[in-house]
Amino acid sequence: MSAATKRRRSSWQIQIATIRALFFRELLTRFGSDQLRLGYIWAVLAPGLQVLMMVIIFTVIRLRVSPYMDYALFLVAGIVPWMLFAGAATRALGAVEANKGLFNYRPVLPIDAVIARTLLEGILYFIVFIVFILGLWWFGYSISISHIPLLFISWLLLMLFSFGFALIMMVVGHWSAEVAKFVGVLIRIMYFASGILYSLHVLPDKYLAYVLWNPVPHVIEYMRYALAPTYPIDHVSYTYFLKSTVVVLFLGLLLYRGTERSMVTTK
Amino acid sequence: MIQLDRLTKSYLTSNGRHYLFRDLDLTLPSGKSIGLLGKNGAGKSTLLRIIGGIDQPDSGQVLTNSTISWPVGLSGGFQGSLTGRQNVRFVSRLYVSEAEVAGKIAFVEEFAEIGKYYDMPVKNYSSGMRSRLTFGLSMAFDFDYYLIDEVSGVGDTSFRKKSAALIEQKRQESGFILVSHNAKRIEQQCDVGVVMLGGQAVFYEDIAEAIEVYESNVLAKK
Repeated sequence: MSAATKRRRSSWQIQIATIRALFFRELLTRFGSDQLRLGYIWAVLAPGLQVLMMVIIFTVIRLRVSPYMDYALFLVAGIVPWMLFAGAATRALGAVEANKGLFNYRPVLPIDAVIARTLLEGILYFIVFIVFILGLWWFGYSISISHIPLLFISWLLLMLFSFGFALIMMVVGHWSAEVAKFVGVLIRIMYFASGILYSLHVLPDKYLAYVLWNPVPHVIEYMRYALAPTYPIDHVSYTYFLKSTVVVLFLGLLLYRGTERSMVTTK
Repeated sequence: MIQLDRLTKSYLTSNGRHYLFRDLDLTLPSGKSIGLLGKNGAGKSTLLRIIGGIDQPDSGQVLTNSTISWPVGLSGGFQGSLTGRQNVRFVSRLYVSEAEVAGKIAFVEEFAEIGKYYDMPVKNYSSGMRSRLTFGLSMAFDFDYYLIDEVSGVGDTSFRKKSAALIEQKRQESGFILVSHNAKRIEQQCDVGVVMLGGQAVFYEDIAEAIEVYESNVLAKK
């Protein structure tokens, strides 16, 4: 078949094919290579073990200050969503540099790498999430199934939020490596200041106001509520999280649009 | 046909901005092999990458309906921990529909002749095997134009031999844009020429004339 008669794909088809190719490349790179016997199971096992360690450490030392639900469940519902968000954000900071080689293939644009990665991590961590919840249920923890749709929708929205935030981080990282380093540290600190390991209810009101600027704890609290409806959600607001998601997505796409060209240009 | 419309490209150096070319207007004909000539640092490789859409000019644009390859022989997009087959599958997915991917993978396997290494991680390849793989990959697709840069990066002797073979094989259906310091090569393998000199580029219908201009200028400056 000659080049002239070959069927041309639309730009949408090309982008979807590109994201798909990147998705499987990433999956293979991390876990599918032949050296690892467990193969794809490792994809879920690696983050799973991390979460398991955290849960064991923190349940054993009883840092627990959450009277409204089982602490292990509380932790799982905090750590796993946070890992999705923080992982996407941190990795995006260096995404342009890390994917330079790929931009030699014209169909690959920086945003495709972020979409593929957020999608992959969103799915992997969701499996981890479900496995842990089922595991806890197996061990006799009480888990509510009356708000399953809320849990699913919250997870999807968190993926969208993380994607928008990752776009912003990619632009920031491209703009300044120093600022990127600073932001990376900040995200790690936020882990301890976002009600992941302890309940927001123990914070004095004057600190709580600052913590709740971060949209992520809002959705995490709702996920906890979905798993244990006795868990109080009086401090957080789903509307705030929804609005933040829209703003972050809009801002991320806007910033990306203004920077895309510069990301694939030699200076 | 590829049309370059008022292209300007500069780099920031410690001595201020250095312009490779300013307001470059050119029309490159279809189905022809084009030789880019110019001294070191004249901007040949950069122009090649801009034509291929993988670098951007400061201003101006490249207008074309043609499909253009990645720089032939390039392996920067390979993931070392993945096998040759997996890398080829990845690149194929970028350029053709899923139904055609298997055909491309089989083609490269046959062309590269690296046997069982095709299913081993690319990071374990010798440079020879790596270049067999990258050339096989370029051969597997039908682009309207192939970009070949023999000056920067991978342009060693075996690279030149392989790219010459690629041109021979694909000459009927594709055009080439070739950057080389070897005037004889360009004369043999290109139909038309572009000479880049002092921030300007001039198109020559006759490759022999282009080489003459290039050589007289390089020699005169020496």
